[in-house]
Amino acid sequence: MIIVEECRRQLGPGVQFYCERLHVPEGVHMALWGPSGCGKSTLLNLISGLLRADSGKVQVDGIDISGLSEGQLDAFRGERVGFVFQTFNLLAPFTAMQNVMLSMRFSDTIPAAEWKPRAESLLERVGLGHRLHSKPKTMSVGEQQRVAIARALANKHKLIVADEPTGSLDPKTATAVMDLLLELCRESNVTLLLVTHAREIADRLPALYDCTGLVQEVAP
Amino acid sequence: MSLWHIAWSYLWNRKFTTILTILSVALAVALISSVLTLREETRKRFEEEGQAFDLVVGAKGSPLQLVLSSVYFMDSPTGNIPYAEYEQLKADKEYVKAAFPISIGDSYLGFRIVGTVRELFEHKWESLLTGAQRAPFQLADGRYFEKSMEAVLGAAVAQQTGLKVGETFVSTHGVIAVPESLGGHSHANLPYTVVGILKPSGSPFDRAVYTSLNSVWDAHRHGPNESGEAHEEHHEAEAGHPEEEEEAAYQEWGAKPESMITAVLVQLQSQLLRFQYREKIRETTSVMAAIPINEIATFYDQFLGTAKLVLLAVGYLVVIISALSILIGLYLSIIQRKRDLAVMRALGASTYDIFGAVLIEAFWVTILGIGCGWLVGGAVSFGLGKYLAWRFGLTISAFNLTTEHLGAFATVALVGLIAGILPAWQAYHGDVAHDLAER
Repeated sequence: MIIVEECRRQLGPGVQFYCERLHVPEGVHMALWGPSGCGKSTLLNLISGLLRADSGKVQVDGIDISGLSEGQLDAFRGERVGFVFQTFNLLAPFTAMQNVMLSMRFSDTIPAAEWKPRAESLLERVGLGHRLHSKPKTMSVGEQQRVAIARALANKHKLIVADEPTGSLDPKTATAVMDLLLELCRESNVTLLLVTHAREIADRLPALYDCTGLVQEVAP
Repeated sequence: MSLWHIAWSYLWNRKFTTILTILSVALAVALISSVLTLREETRKRFEEEGQAFDLVVGAKGSPLQLVLSSVYFMDSPTGNIPYAEYEQLKADKEYVKAAFPISIGDSYLGFRIVGTVRELFEHKWESLLTGAQRAPFQLADGRYFEKSMEAVLGAAVAQQTGLKVGETFVSTHGVIAVPESLGGHSHANLPYTVVGILKPSGSPFDRAVYTSLNSVWDAHRHGPNESGEAHEEHHEAEAGHPEEEEEAAYQEWGAKPESMITAVLVQLQSQLLRFQYREKIRETTSVMAAIPINEIATFYDQFLGTAKLVLLAVGYLVVIISALSILIGLYLSIIQRKRDLAVMRALGASTYDIFGAVLIEAFWVTILGIGCGWLVGGAVSFGLGKYLAWRFGLTISAFNLTTEHLGAFATVALVGLIAGILPAWQAYHGDVAHDLAER
């Protein structure tokens, strides 16, 4: 599903990201673990097409994304990757249901007639059937992250990337959200890459990739 | 979830700044719209009323002044001419279909008292605007005047003064109402009796009091309770009509004051004869003839045309300022929601989606601004139209949508969209990973 080999990306003067090799088979749930600043989020951004490698190979679902144009990367993300962010990143002017529907609107992988019923069904599945028409600012952080999970799953993508998805939540809510994310990813049989610096969270996933040392200082 | 909906949601999410931006566009459009409406409507109305008579014949002076004073009752008359001129014109059947003498000298509460002949009330002509027959001298109440000191009121005079048939009033000397404390004086010994009231016609004819020529001449002779000194002082105070000038005019014509009139309103056998007959009068008489519709058209082109250009220039300057406010408003909004745009990009939004959504925001603001501006412009025109109706008797249509309006609105819409391009470009070229990482 995911192949990263000899991947380099210049992050600044004298600072470089380098990943020698990462292979993630389809359907695997893997934690990208490491201390802050080690390069785990950069690795996730390279795999999800938010960043482009300077050299090396980044292949996702058979597509070498390092050679894609900006427009092709937009399409790649819309068609293949679901995102869960640490700060939820719901769009403030829209309701929970509209946020989920917007994901389908931009992705263009689900027929328009299915947007509404699918959004309702997913929000009900994450326990927010009663908040369909609530706007993000009226929801708790836990509820917002559950909307974000529903949004990530809306397009039936094969890959879900989650960057510190519980980083902004209190421990109790974090556990509940994590349980929900893992459960839904298992149900949907998607590949999950989850970035975390917390070992106890990383250990809940069946696979772990230690990102320590991906960011290196190099001679200018 | 169309781009229109997405754009609208973002605008609605920042209602206050959106409304302010819309108002700035609306202000510019209102200014442009009302200038276009007022200019076009007043021109149409002036030309419509100017069509009432083919020629106006009066004392030499400014042709425009002669037309304004005799047809629109707006300016001071250019002077007096002998009654005999009217008789000569009326007798010239080869050219003249009808001629109506008018004598303007006194007023009542600012409304001019027009001495004329009863035939004027039968005068009709074809409307320039609708092609229908215009007959503004139809009675709503009472009868037409028959003898001296009987008066027929225009509809606006009756409405604004409250005078009714059978009531009397005292005229003031001069066409400009001057309070007695400031030297003005009345013909208290010769009151007028209202014998009729005309139907409203939406024209300057609503704003005059009609009486016989004899009434005006009778009132003009000094009555027993009117001091000659006061009369003289008043005439000196009245612009364009010093007593000496009138006396000189009477001597020049070899006529007495009671045989003088202000002008003759002429209807020719054919409108095509207007220029020819004006030249004939110029060459063969010592009076002046003016073609009302021609004078008004020249006035609009020369004076109001320039005024229109200045006002439109101001309007378009405000459009540019509004465009800048759209640009700044959208640009600031793009900076504030860089993360939202990055999220959309992460979710797969295309160039078309991001660029289009921001451009549509500019479109919404501009279109709503144009809509509101047109309504505000209409309201302004309506208000000014009320004033024009009250002051000059000109009734105008306030909510117009001419090709000139549409052209101006299209220009504003284009400027608004151009203002949206820079923020839209900025929105699409954000660094997604960087913007998502920003806290």
